Amino acid sequence: MSPIFSRATLKSAAAACAVLLGGALAHAQPASRPGIFIMGVDGVDPVILSRMMDEGQLPNFAKLAREGSYQELGTSNPPQSPVAWSNFVTGMNPGGHGIFDFLHRDPANYHPVSSATPAPGEPPSALRLFGYVIPLGGSDAGNNRGGTPWWDLLVESEVDVEVIRIPGNFPTPPSDAKVLGGMGTVDLRGGFGTYTLYTDTLVEKKNPKGDIEYVSVQDLDLDGIPETASSILRGPPDQFHLEPGQVPSSGDYLTVRVTVHIDPDNDSAVVEVGDSRTLVEQGKWSDWVEVSFDLLPMGMMPVTGTVRFYAQQLRPNLSLYASPVNLSPASPFMPIASPDDFVETIFANVGYFYTQGMPEEQEALKDGVFDDDEYVAQVALVQEDTGRMVDFSLDRFEPGDTTFVYFSDIDLQCHMLWRHEDPKYPDAPDHPAFDPATAPAHAHDIENFYRDVDVALGKIRERLPAGTLLIVMSDHGFQPYTRKLHLNGWLRDNGYLVLKDGKKSGHILTGDVDWSKTRAYGVGFNGLYLNIAGREAEGIVSEAEADALMAELSSKLEALKDPENGETVVLEMFRGDEVYTGPRTPEGPDLVVGYNRGYGCSDESTLGEITEEIIEDNTSRWSGNHLMSPDVVPGVLLTNRKLSSSGHDLTDVTATVLSHYGIQPLAGMTGESIF
Amino acid sequence: MQTYNNIASAIFDFLFAPFGHEIALFDLIVWPVIIGIGALQVYKYTSNQAAIASVKRQISMHLLEIRLFRDDIAQVLKSTAKIIGKNVIYIAHNLTPMAVMIIPMIALMVQLVAHYAYQPAPPGSVELLHLKLDPDAAVSAQDVSLEVPAGTSLDAPPVRTADGQVFWRVKADQPGDHVFKVRVGDEVYEKGWAVGGEARKVPVKRLRNWEALLYPGEAAIPSDAPVLSLELDMHTRPIDFVWDGELGILMWAMVLSLVAGVALKDFFGVTL
Repeated sequence: MSPIFSRATLKSAAAACAVLLGGALAHAQPASRPGIFIMGVDGVDPVILSRMMDEGQLPNFAKLAREGSYQELGTSNPPQSPVAWSNFVTGMNPGGHGIFDFLHRDPANYHPVSSATPAPGEPPSALRLFGYVIPLGGSDAGNNRGGTPWWDLLVESEVDVEVIRIPGNFPTPPSDAKVLGGMGTVDLRGGFGTYTLYTDTLVEKKNPKGDIEYVSVQDLDLDGIPETASSILRGPPDQFHLEPGQVPSSGDYLTVRVTVHIDPDNDSAVVEVGDSRTLVEQGKWSDWVEVSFDLLPMGMMPVTGTVRFYAQQLRPNLSLYASPVNLSPASPFMPIASPDDFVETIFANVGYFYTQGMPEEQEALKDGVFDDDEYVAQVALVQEDTGRMVDFSLDRFEPGDTTFVYFSDIDLQCHMLWRHEDPKYPDAPDHPAFDPATAPAHAHDIENFYRDVDVALGKIRERLPAGTLLIVMSDHGFQPYTRKLHLNGWLRDNGYLVLKDGKKSGHILTGDVDWSKTRAYGVGFNGLYLNIAGREAEGIVSEAEADALMAELSSKLEALKDPENGETVVLEMFRGDEVYTGPRTPEGPDLVVGYNRGYGCSDESTLGEITEEIIEDNTSRWSGNHLMSPDVVPGVLLTNRKLSSSGHDLTDVTATVLSHYGIQPLAGMTGESIF
Repeated sequence: MQTYNNIASAIFDFLFAPFGHEIALFDLIVWPVIIGIGALQVYKYTSNQAAIASVKRQISMHLLEIRLFRDDIAQVLKSTAKIIGKNVIYIAHNLTPMAVMIIPMIALMVQLVAHYAYQPAPPGSVELLHLKLDPDAAVSAQDVSLEVPAGTSLDAPPVRTADGQVFWRVKADQPGDHVFKVRVGDEVYEKGWAVGGEARKVPVKRLRNWEALLYPGEAAIPSDAPVLSLELDMHTRPIDFVWDGELGILMWAMVLSLVAGVALKDFFGVTL
């Protein structure tokens, strides 16, 4: 149903009133101010950007740098996107906003938990009725990010603000500003993107991140050509059959039937999914289709998502890929924007789009389900979404407004495609994940994505009203990721972390750690925690011992050399209580590991695993990274005005936005205006 | 069936949208109110008004009994049983007017749906054209082909399924009222597609048998045809106050006609 009093209607009505009242109102208007348009381009690296500008490959960036300013922008510590963008959103460091990493640890049980929401508390009790489990009490988890977003301050000052795909804004905090969340927004299963592969051939993948559904293609019309396959698509957890706090297993999700009809002659198929259907050609993606899952019988509580299919192969073998089921932008089951109707406005203007936070199918590429060609083709779909969002924003931008648009073009692609050719160090040795068979075709993909953003920048500059302050910023730069440190393995070998029963390997989640003898452990990409008595569930390190232990750990890790090549693994160790300020500092890690260029914490250690190995090659397709020391991955800052100072960081951009409208920064905001 | 659709469509195409289809609320308010008033008249002259008034009085009396003798369980049960019995009688008195009213009401609501539930596809949009064959017919999906009119194009190769369905993904290249020609054996079936332009009555699906009465926007498929249905996915039309789609129009018309009937019953001297 269309809103009776939509914002557009009210705006029109207000405009009409203003016209009618004429000059009488004119005296009451605030002095006109030029607006601000911010391009938030995740992962733009100053070295790559400078080289490509010098080579004439980025004419719009070069023109902006020439006419305005271009300099490095200090990133967050650690330089992780949720942390960095939270710095920008709140003008605070992690000690103020409370986002220290992609993952935090729950001191009650040492388990890694998403930093997006507070650690889960005790599950509520439940009422069991006719086989249904109805939780009694409990509440939806809120966003863990503290502080006040700059857009709320602008709206209070009556600035019209639109923020498109800002990372770290899910769960969506209430706001009068129009804000669509980006990175961190979950799919319908509550994760960050679970794909499904329907295939009739054996897939040898170790722990794939998606569902592999084996199907048999049947010959229903007995014409000798098999044409029909059936399977299921998983949707949200079956909440009314799960105990409160229970982690769903693969059988605990709501499902709908999926039937694939393959044409006997053409390379095309119709996929029926629930009550919807779509046609897909081999080697191409289908359009989005809505799919509805019923939490209660007779459609009393439908949960609607959107999914699209990619036909890798239809014959002779079937390999059909289904994207993660996204929250439908037409009617999201959970708020993904504020106010609620903003997402409907976007949908009405741009149609269906990826709502999950990281829409690139990087899990499929990491698992080997996609090859590089397929991955890059899918990224193009994401770019089309971004292009439509930019048009939508520009269509609505008026002098005095502030708009932020997020571009994921470069970040994910640097993560996934760096292995083909290092765009930053042309003479670097081949990446451990280098594949001579595929590298030539993709050696310049990353540069192509830089060029795509350059084109977008040119379009934006053309369309912005005169006088608008344009800011192009990245949250961090990039580096190759060639060697990975199993931090928990190193802690074990050095006697800081002890496993039960003399084991060499294990996992925090499976209770393998002997906490009565463990003094330090790693969780998250850069976090190192002491097992502090009275803070951790089974802490043994006293406050008095902590300083010395941190100094010892820092000294040893900074001295750690890679046995393979003698390189320094850790450039600098940071004490949390020294680099963070603000009331939430105690929630953060005791030490932040600032890895050297090329190094990073292994995924295993990040999630709490203790491996036998200490340092090894990173052979994953996730081959570029920025989860290192902030000094080696600064971001970039470009504006269309001259800057007289340098050395700015992300919080300074926040201060600049506030200062532009004459708004005083709040207590705890650390930045200063760049002008 | 087709004759009925032709006549009904001719009448309502003339009556509807005096100010054009862009102003949907005119018809969506005026006609449900007319339905409500018409229903009151039908009710007045086809029901036993005296008997209805009597049974309502008796129901009120038994309700009063329950309030007065609520400490007497036996009396409460007895009065409750009587209320149920009188309600059955009340419903029975309503059957005749309902039987008289239901056909014109459905006819009008079907026409409201045909005119206002959907909108033309935007140029550039891609939709599925779907044909379903009668499983008893002597033709197979292989015998079906599509002739695409100018202004539209085939966006992908068609898909023929084992159970006799054919799907085409078609693209709206230019605005207009396009007509696809689907050849099934020796027969040709047309399917309209409204693309772009002003809001108007748009074709949605062609059906065979009685279901065709629900979609008067296009001719019904002859009952002896080998085709069961021919339809195009269409965009629902967003209208202020009303939920999008067929159900939204039906609920709106139903509720508004009821409200109009209840509000005007005393004016027209009708006992409901």
